[in-house]
Amino acid sequence: MVELFVQVMHPSILFPWFMAMLFGIFAGATPGLTATMATALIVPISYYMSPLAGLAMIIGATFTAIFAGDIPATFLRIPGTPASSAATLDGYQLTLQGKGGYALTLDLICSALGGLMGVGILIFVAPPLAQLALRFSSAEYFWLGLFGLSMSAVVSKGNTFRGIIAACFGLLVSTVGMDVTTGHPRFTFGQLDLLSGVGFIPAMIGLFGLSEVLKLVSNRDALRQPSIASAVKISLRKALPVVWRHKFTVLRSGGIGTVIGALPGAGADIAAWVSYGMAKKFSRNPDKFGTGADEGVIAPTSANNAGLAGAWIPALVFGVPGDSITAIVVGAMLMYGLRPGPLIFEQSRELVNGIFLIAVLTQFMLIGVGLLGIKAFGRILQLPRNAVIVIVLMFSIVGSFALQNSIFDIYIMIAFGIIGFYLEKNDVPLPPLILGLILGPMVERNLRVGLVRTQGDFLPFLTRPVSSVLAIALFITLFGGPILGLLRRLLSKYAAKRNEP
Amino acid sequence: MNKRTMIVSLVVALLLVAAAGTVWAGGGAEREAVYPSRTVSVTVPWAAGGGTDRVARFWADAFQQELGVPFVVENRTGGGGAVGHSAGARAAADGYTITMVTFELATLQSMGLADLTYAGYDYILQMNEDAASVIVRADSPYQSIQDLFDAIEANPGQVSFSGTAVGGVWDLARVGMLLEAGIDPDDTLWIPSEGAAPAITDLLGGHVDVITNSLPEAQSQLEAGNLRALAVMSDQRNPAFPDVPTLKEQGIDWSGGTWRGFAVPAGTPENVRQVLVEAGEKIARSTEFENFMADAGFGIRLRLGDEYAEFVENEHYTWQTIIREIGF
Repeated sequence: MVELFVQVMHPSILFPWFMAMLFGIFAGATPGLTATMATALIVPISYYMSPLAGLAMIIGATFTAIFAGDIPATFLRIPGTPASSAATLDGYQLTLQGKGGYALTLDLICSALGGLMGVGILIFVAPPLAQLALRFSSAEYFWLGLFGLSMSAVVSKGNTFRGIIAACFGLLVSTVGMDVTTGHPRFTFGQLDLLSGVGFIPAMIGLFGLSEVLKLVSNRDALRQPSIASAVKISLRKALPVVWRHKFTVLRSGGIGTVIGALPGAGADIAAWVSYGMAKKFSRNPDKFGTGADEGVIAPTSANNAGLAGAWIPALVFGVPGDSITAIVVGAMLMYGLRPGPLIFEQSRELVNGIFLIAVLTQFMLIGVGLLGIKAFGRILQLPRNAVIVIVLMFSIVGSFALQNSIFDIYIMIAFGIIGFYLEKNDVPLPPLILGLILGPMVERNLRVGLVRTQGDFLPFLTRPVSSVLAIALFITLFGGPILGLLRRLLSKYAAKRNEP
Repeated sequence: MNKRTMIVSLVVALLLVAAAGTVWAGGGAEREAVYPSRTVSVTVPWAAGGGTDRVARFWADAFQQELGVPFVVENRTGGGGAVGHSAGARAAADGYTITMVTFELATLQSMGLADLTYAGYDYILQMNEDAASVIVRADSPYQSIQDLFDAIEANPGQVSFSGTAVGGVWDLARVGMLLEAGIDPDDTLWIPSEGAAPAITDLLGGHVDVITNSLPEAQSQLEAGNLRALAVMSDQRNPAFPDVPTLKEQGIDWSGGTWRGFAVPAGTPENVRQVLVEAGEKIARSTEFENFMADAGFGIRLRLGDEYAEFVENEHYTWQTIIREIGF
């Protein structure tokens, strides 16, 4: 172990590793540059290095990028990566209250903790978890998707009816594109660019980023003020006790994140939303969510970094990637002469241990690199608002374009910016819309593919073992509260009757 | 230096740079006669980090060394390859946009995804071919391809296949195989998946019976003994898997699979295309390329210029027949 540590700390590994983490900050914090793209850009460079250095770069860049996605989400309300869309809720509210630095410090610590937890689970229980992932098929993913959708009721603060409208709109938009089971184009109006559906990332950038710009522009007084009065304050001393107070939220979110991340059909973005919803359900003050609650920052960020680690579980154990990042990693490992899969633990034990060690150390390095990132991006907030919105606008346009080199995606972004602006003006919450967009395809695809499997029979959706557990869990979350209330009322009525003489 | 002079000198410097750039670009236009004289963009219809992207990036590097100008990869993804293939064919036919075309080019029109056929391109070379195969779990009752066919005929609608999206290469390869064997493809189920990885998990988890992906895609599971290959759909056995028989050996005259190559928009000047064909042949015969393909688990198949053009045309009609037969 000591020998391995010395090997990993060699400058030929440490230097590219550290540089990759700085690159991760940049890629993650730039909307449209995702952690997946950071990996794709690093892989060709890594061929000229030792496998361990290449893997250190990939691991370093991805964990950093997933955290860094929260920086613009918190400061500017543009999620840097899809996994950060949940951070636009409470994190941004804290920024508006002048506590952006605090929110991100909290975010950073929990990112590292969530990542550490995910890596711990990867090291110690990877094989059984990978076996669990094997039990997931269409029916199970269908229920998981529905469960995620049910979170839209949790995340729409205030008016549930408007929340449902937003979720339905998201679902409707998600039906655009090639039909899963027939390959037929739907709602594409002959547009090639719509064949693969409405791009989720441009839509998200528009809904959050551009709509915020429109909101600010429509209010002239707000434009003249600086975004925040003072420099971004980073205080670990203030954040650490808060993390300790919410340690169960961190643990729960990290656990949810790892398990969802380990499923090849669901990723860090879904993990973040599900754990946000769960945190609100379990919270003592759920009303604070959406107005700048600490737990609202802690939960999604613990989950998305844990989910990243979780995705390595099926990748290492089966050679089957758990998300788009590990899909690239598996390809890169082949180029390094490694064959991920059942035999890797015997054939390349040394390297697997190296990967584990790097993943653990990355979480500690993340704190340092992350603080740098927060400081650097915090400068943006000291600019006057009218300068900030120009930056946001530029980020939104470049980010939408960069993803697929597509001008069409810029139009999508603008359209959703306008839609988002009007929806928010009319108090329609945006999170359910995002949930509909992310989960619509997952629910639809798995329902329809599942029905193909069973040749139209819905019964197996309820009788398959894992499926039935998920269905019951969903039933309890949806109806548990009201049923319990009803029982309690009946009981008290009964007791009252008995007390009557 | 006070602030104003600094700003003025900055502006002047910028203007000078811009002017120099125009002159330089003008000079470039004059040297246009010798191809290539400026950056060539390489359109890839699939996502960064995927298999096609990896091959494309290797070739971009190699072309750059061979021809001395930068070759820059641009990923134009979406629509099952329709977006990138269409964009590549629509580009100016001057050799400064080359496209890594894949199997999907032969099916886009028949599948109703794009108004583009093999005729939209002139061809440089093909460097890769990966045949479909028939893979089952190690504990599957099917010991040979005949066992599988017997089972389908005995219980129509019970055997499930997976491997990619509906109408994707492995789906069409399955249909071709079944039609050749005299089995109605509708007697089997196709479970759409988002690529090889979920299909392999589905097979391992017992949610499907057969997958028709390429052998390298399932290599680690085949080597670990969790999966077993019944046949490969190529003319010759795969040298990396010498024990897997071809369909032809087992009496079914069918081969099919995916391929990759480079093409330029139709109408590109012949001398320009020839420069690329010559450079491409040199790269394809290098040991670096052979090692790269072996490491990545891709099969090498070389077809140059006209031979490749003929092949793509043939593919178009082969798959068109099959797609019409099954009625997508």
